[in-house]
Amino acid sequence: MKNTEIAMTRNRPYWRQALDENWRRLRRNPTGRSGLILLLIFALMAASSFIPPLISPIYNPMHGVDPHISHTTGPSLRHWLGTDFIGRDIFSQLLAGARVAFMVGITAAFMSVVLGVAIGILAGYAGGWADTVLMRLADMIMVMPTLLVVLMAAALFGQLSIWTIVAMIALFRWPGVSRVIRARILSLKQRPFIEAARIAGASHLRIMTRHLLPNVLPLALLYMTFRVTSAIIIEAALAFLGFGDPTTVSWGMMLQWVWKTGHMFQAPYWLLPPGICISLLTLSFYMLARAMDEILDPRLRRRGES
Amino acid sequence: MLITAALAAGCRKVEGRLLRVGLASEPKTLNVWLASDASSRAVLRLVYHCLYERDPETLAFVPWLAESLPVYDPAGKTYTIRLRQARWSDGRPLTSADVAFTVRLIKEFKTPGCSRWKYVLRVETPDPHTVVFRLKKNFATFLSRTLQISILPAHKWKSVANAARHAQKPLAALMRFKNEAPVSSGPFVVRQWRKGAYVYLTRNPYFFGKDKTIAGRRLGPSIDGVLFKFYGTTDVAMLALRKGEMDMYWHHIQPGYMSVLQKNPHIRIVNSPKSAIYFMGFNTRRPPFDDVALRKAVEVLVDKQFIVKRLLQGRGSEMWSVIPEGNKRWYNPGLPRPGQGLNRKQRIKLAFRILSSAGYSWKKPPLDATGRITSRPGELLTPDAKPMAPFTILTPPADYDPARAISGTMIQEWLREIGMPAMARPMEFGALIQQVKVRRNFDAFILGYGRLPLDPDYLRSFFHSRNDRPRGWNISGYHNPEFDRLATAAQREMDPEKRRRLVFAMQAIIAADVPYLPLYLPTLNEAVRTDRFTGWVPMLDGIGNRWSFCLLKAAKGGK
Repeated sequence: MKNTEIAMTRNRPYWRQALDENWRRLRRNPTGRSGLILLLIFALMAASSFIPPLISPIYNPMHGVDPHISHTTGPSLRHWLGTDFIGRDIFSQLLAGARVAFMVGITAAFMSVVLGVAIGILAGYAGGWADTVLMRLADMIMVMPTLLVVLMAAALFGQLSIWTIVAMIALFRWPGVSRVIRARILSLKQRPFIEAARIAGASHLRIMTRHLLPNVLPLALLYMTFRVTSAIIIEAALAFLGFGDPTTVSWGMMLQWVWKTGHMFQAPYWLLPPGICISLLTLSFYMLARAMDEILDPRLRRRGES
Repeated sequence: MLITAALAAGCRKVEGRLLRVGLASEPKTLNVWLASDASSRAVLRLVYHCLYERDPETLAFVPWLAESLPVYDPAGKTYTIRLRQARWSDGRPLTSADVAFTVRLIKEFKTPGCSRWKYVLRVETPDPHTVVFRLKKNFATFLSRTLQISILPAHKWKSVANAARHAQKPLAALMRFKNEAPVSSGPFVVRQWRKGAYVYLTRNPYFFGKDKTIAGRRLGPSIDGVLFKFYGTTDVAMLALRKGEMDMYWHHIQPGYMSVLQKNPHIRIVNSPKSAIYFMGFNTRRPPFDDVALRKAVEVLVDKQFIVKRLLQGRGSEMWSVIPEGNKRWYNPGLPRPGQGLNRKQRIKLAFRILSSAGYSWKKPPLDATGRITSRPGELLTPDAKPMAPFTILTPPADYDPARAISGTMIQEWLREIGMPAMARPMEFGALIQQVKVRRNFDAFILGYGRLPLDPDYLRSFFHSRNDRPRGWNISGYHNPEFDRLATAAQREMDPEKRRRLVFAMQAIIAADVPYLPLYLPTLNEAVRTDRFTGWVPMLDGIGNRWSFCLLKAAKGGK
């Protein structure tokens, strides 16, 4: 087994090989597979969100209204999920919401993971006082409740735009990532191949980017999937509480509209779809992350699997 | 035996005649000088009363704590007012000394919202039941605005005022006073305030109006007390109302709840007119809205009917003047109504004509050579042929008022249809007020005054150039010498007919110059249960008025 691995390493870098291997495992994993399928459905929704406004301006999720309907109505052929209180199409809003959720989830997660990985590698590789300072900073930020801090910022500075919210989520969610990455780096940097690179004259930057980074990438990817879930939930909670960006149609915003206009218990066709979508999308990312966790951590693998 | 039974029945009856009122939040204070939130004012309305009340139907003034309408002497510029034989809830007589004390307190501490008292030279009290106000000059709003103050018990507040006088910041010290057990001149007195739970008011045994007939109505109160409870969310309040745990919800109810409430036979929904204005304000100090043509173009592009029909669900009306139509005495019905009833295409065409004749142009005009509307017009160029800089429309956040926030995004889209680079931006309410009123750094905003006085004196506050200063009420920065002249004249004019003509002319100027674009006037939707109490008095600004609480009766066959 060890021999074959070494043999393959000659042709392809170790991390590429690991990624391929893990992808195969992911597809075999039932949790991962169902997560992927769910995710694909939502991606399709997000991608098709551009279509309804092209059919007719009345399907514009934010300001398109049905000229014949000026109150909330249930599902019909013309409006598959009904209309909201001013006659906007709920189905178009749901599709637009999927786009916003992906946008928010993936950008916030990506930013926080980039930040977390960079800081984790730096802290782990540099060690000493840099490590201490960075990790204490991480500890400080880690204990701050993200939602509460963003709520307070919204109250202080007025309404936040969707990108400010994304940036704030990213800023508050990196410490978890950087702690795990750092721990991995601490063990990696004692390995002979790092020693070899150093003797061969590689600079610190080259060691960090070319030798350490590829080895923690799968782990970073795993954490990114977890972060997507939390970013989507935070954005939805903010919007629901009235601190979201009101110029975007997100699922949290839809829930806020249904609540604030007093239709919470009167219009299930309006309340349920965004609620279910938030749950399912976060569930799909969570399932994917769990599956990746199992694959990356051999201790979680079931007996008999390699 | 019989007596005991009768007593027991009586006791049960007393228990049953407690009115349970739901408030949207707990009162912040019972100190009148600090009370700016709706809940505090609701409780205080039953505790401290004024000299005059408005008749619920005619809205004319009727004597309340006063015995008769004031007598004006133009030569000496004095108002003489006779007081009723009234008592405070601790049994002490309510006299002219209390009135004089309250006025002197206002003048000395310069309490907020009472700046009109600076026109009053002094107060005299020739005898315990006569008060004479000596004015510096004639002004029309003495009875309708200045005198609308709650009279305080001098024997309770004297020590408070004395202590505050020696503090470093006297007004702040006065406002810090807690006033946990206020002595009342109204029908009820605060018995207990359990923080976080309820405020309990019982009947005031010394209420002056008991069994008196004022304005053709025989006052009670015939209920035994009022229990204020607090409901943080409307959903919980609506549930309590439907279950019969609450007799009245003293708050506006969103249209979405109506269908469920209407199904309950014991719930009555009361729609009351409001004296209010919801409007879009422009910053006339700086481009782009320093140009009246642009403001007029915005006026025709904004579809007020859309806002009323959809955002308010039909529960309201379009507004065409800065004075609401329901204020019949002062509303000018002859004003133009630009854009009324037009569809989107007609609006764009009309705005196009207004803008192009004022020198605006487009890289790609919204109307092509044949007069057809192009789908995506190029950006608007100002008369000096530069692209218009993007501007923002500030609105309150959606959770504060969904109608105003969504109006903002709708107006943004309507303005973009003609190439205006508009952007709606909701902002936390306090920050929004700070931005427009103090920093005055804005282009346009959407705000509302929920409780507009009936006297049109506020036109002067909103648009007189003297009020264009930080924290001043002239938020738009509107300057017009002709308007200033009319406003000053209207304030001085004692002849109601002449004053009315002046106010009409002022409205016409504002309608022509559009510093404020009036949008809509919502109706107030309140709900009460009918199975325990009847006799709510419908009135401008809702059933939560002093008449209602004095006239409510237990319903026949009620629990």
